[in-house]
Amino acid sequence: MSRELDTKELLLKLSSIPGPSGFEDEVLEEVEKIMKDLSDECFRTPMGSLVCVKRGNGPKIGFFAHADQIAFLVVKVYEDGFLRLSGIGGWDPKVIASQKVTVHTRHGKFRGVVGFMPPHLQTTEESKRVPDYDHLFVDVSMNPDWQKIGIGDLVTIDVQGFEKSGTVFAPALDNRASCVAIIKAAELITKLETKAQVYYVFSTREEIGGPGAKSAAYASELEYGVVIDVTHGDEDLPGFPKIKMGEGPAIAVGPVTNRAFVEHIRDVAGKFNVKFQIEPIPGRSGTDTDDVQLTRIGVKTALVSIPLKYMHNPYEKVVIKDVEDTAKLLAFSTLGLE
Amino acid sequence: MLKFLRELTELKGVSGFEDDVREFIKEKIKDKVDEVFVDRMGNLIALKKGSGGGKRILLDAHMDEVGFMVTNINEDGTLSFSPVGGVDPRVVIGKKVIVGKDVEGIIGYKAIHIQRDGYLNAPKYHELKIDIGAKSKAEAERSVKIGDQVTFSTIYEEVSDFVIAKALDDRCGCSILMDLIYSELTIPHDVYFAFTVQEETGLRGPAILAEQLQADVAIAVETTTSGDDPELEKQLWSTHLGDGPAITFMHSGYVVSKDIFDKLVEVAKKHGIPFQYKMRTVGGTNARRYALTGIPAGVVSVPARYIHSPVSVIKKSDYENTVRLLKAFLEEF
Repeated sequence: MSRELDTKELLLKLSSIPGPSGFEDEVLEEVEKIMKDLSDECFRTPMGSLVCVKRGNGPKIGFFAHADQIAFLVVKVYEDGFLRLSGIGGWDPKVIASQKVTVHTRHGKFRGVVGFMPPHLQTTEESKRVPDYDHLFVDVSMNPDWQKIGIGDLVTIDVQGFEKSGTVFAPALDNRASCVAIIKAAELITKLETKAQVYYVFSTREEIGGPGAKSAAYASELEYGVVIDVTHGDEDLPGFPKIKMGEGPAIAVGPVTNRAFVEHIRDVAGKFNVKFQIEPIPGRSGTDTDDVQLTRIGVKTALVSIPLKYMHNPYEKVVIKDVEDTAKLLAFSTLGLE
Repeated sequence: MLKFLRELTELKGVSGFEDDVREFIKEKIKDKVDEVFVDRMGNLIALKKGSGGGKRILLDAHMDEVGFMVTNINEDGTLSFSPVGGVDPRVVIGKKVIVGKDVEGIIGYKAIHIQRDGYLNAPKYHELKIDIGAKSKAEAERSVKIGDQVTFSTIYEEVSDFVIAKALDDRCGCSILMDLIYSELTIPHDVYFAFTVQEETGLRGPAILAEQLQADVAIAVETTTSGDDPELEKQLWSTHLGDGPAITFMHSGYVVSKDIFDKLVEVAKKHGIPFQYKMRTVGGTNARRYALTGIPAGVVSVPARYIHSPVSVIKKSDYENTVRLLKAFLEEF
C-alpha cells in the first residue's frame, strides 16, 4: 500500500458518481478499483452486488453497505421538451424544485432544469402548496436532441459535494458514506492480525426495498453480518435518544440484531476506545439488516449507522470522523470472534 | 456579444450589496465611455456622448439580484435568513448558498422519513436554516455576521442556444448595456447607461436619477417572466422563449408611454427584428420609477424561464435580438 486513503476524498469521489437503484455499475467499478488492493478476490453477484473477500480460516463475517441512491424516472415526455418524473426511492417533493438534473439515456447524458413558476405568475392558492410529481416538470428543451429522451430514462439531481470544517455536504452520502467506512475498514484490516474471513459487500437496490444485500449474503454463507447504513443525526425524535453528529457510529439494539454479537461489538469499541452511541430499534429497521438476518440458516447480525443529517436531500451531511470511527469499529469487530 | 454574461451572473450582488457587480462593470467600461460616476445610492452611470444636436436617452439595467440576508446566528451554529426581494421559499431547500464573500453552506430540511403531516405545505422562512458546518454560535461567528448577504451558487452554463444561470434578472440587462457600450454607435444622442441598485426591493435605485440626469426618455432593459411550460395553459403565458425581445405596453403600476411603445414596435418591424408583446401585466420595472419622477419610459425585456430561482434560462437568440432592437431604437430615435 502507498499512502493511506483519505476519507474526505473518498466521500467526495464516491458521492459524485450517480448510481440510482439498479444502475450502480459506475459506482461499483470505482469501488472495485480501490478494493482490489485491499482484498484477495472480488466478484459480482447475479443481482449486481460487488463482493470482495479477505481470506482467513476463522469465522465468516460480512460487512454490507448498499451502493445505490434515490433518483427519478421519466414518466412523461411532452412535445416541446418537458418531462414529468416519478421517484425511485423516497423523495421529499420540497427538495426537487429549481435543481439542475442529469437525464441518463442510452444516447448519453442530457441537461435538465426542474422549472418553477416565478412568484409573478403564481396564484395565491398554488403558492401554499409544494408541487408534487403531477406538477413538477423538467425542462430539457435546451438540448437540441432532447427527443432522444424516452420514458423510463433515469434522472439524478446534479449537485457538487464539498467539505467544511470536518463535515462533508454531498449527494448520496446515504449510503456512500457507509461504502467509504467499509473501504477504510478493509484498509485497516490489512494491518490487523485477524483470522476471520471477511466479505466486503457493496450491494444494490436497497432504496427500492430490493434483494441486493440478501442475495450477496446468501452467496457468501456467512455466520456474522454487519449492515452499515445511515441514521438521522442531530434530530429530536420523541421518546428516542438523540443520535448526535460527531459522536461516533450508532450501534443498533433490537430484535433484528444478534444480542451476543452486538455485545461483542460494544466490548471491542470499549477496548479500542472507539466512540459510539446506542440506537434502540424495537422492530424492523428498514435497512438491509432485516433481510440479511433471515438468509439461509440465519445470520448473526448487527447494524451500525453513521449519523447523517438531511437524509434524502440533494445535500446530505456527515462528519468525517464518524465515518472513520465506523471503519475502526468494523475492523476491530473482526477480532476475537469465535 | 454575451462575453460578460458568465462573470456577471456568477458575481454576488443582492439588493444593497451590488459592490462587486458595480466594480466589475466599471472596470470593463471605463475606457469605452466619455464619463462614468457612482452616485450616492451606488448607481453606476456612464455617459456615451453623441455627435451632437440629439436627445438624452437613458438605458437602465439593475445590478441587484434576489437573494437573502442573514438575520440571526443560532446557538447550534446554523443561520436564520430572510429573502431580499421575492424568492419563493419553495425553491430554496436543497441548495448550496454562499454567505458573505465566500462561506459555503446549504439549506437543508429535516428528512422526509421523520416529517409529520403536511409535508406538501409550503415551508416558511423561519423554519429554514443555513448550515455552514459550524458546531456552535461562536464557531459560526468567526466567519459570518448578521446582515451578510446570501446568494445562490449556480454555475453559469451554456447548452446549445440556451443559457442556464442565476441572477439573469437582471445581469442579462447589464450585459446588454455593456454590449451596447462596446458596439459602434454613430448617433447624435447622448446615451446614459444606468446600472442601478435595489430594483428588487421596490425600484429604489432609479428614484434619484431624474434629479441627476436630464433624460428625455428612459428604457428599462429587463429580464422578464415567460411561463411557457406545461404548468400554464398557453393563453396564460407571459412570453415565449425564442420569439424575440418582449415589448411591454403595461405592467404593475405603469402604462408605458404610448409614443415610446409605438416607436419600439415600429423600429422592430422596420428592421425585421423578431419581437413579442409581453402578454401578462404582472411584475414591475424601473420604468415605473422613471415615469413617476418625470422621465417617460419604456420596457424591453429578454424572456426568461424560472426567474427569481437559482436556475433561470434564456435563449441567446432573444438576447441578441434585444441588443439589435435597442441599437436600432437608439439610431432611429
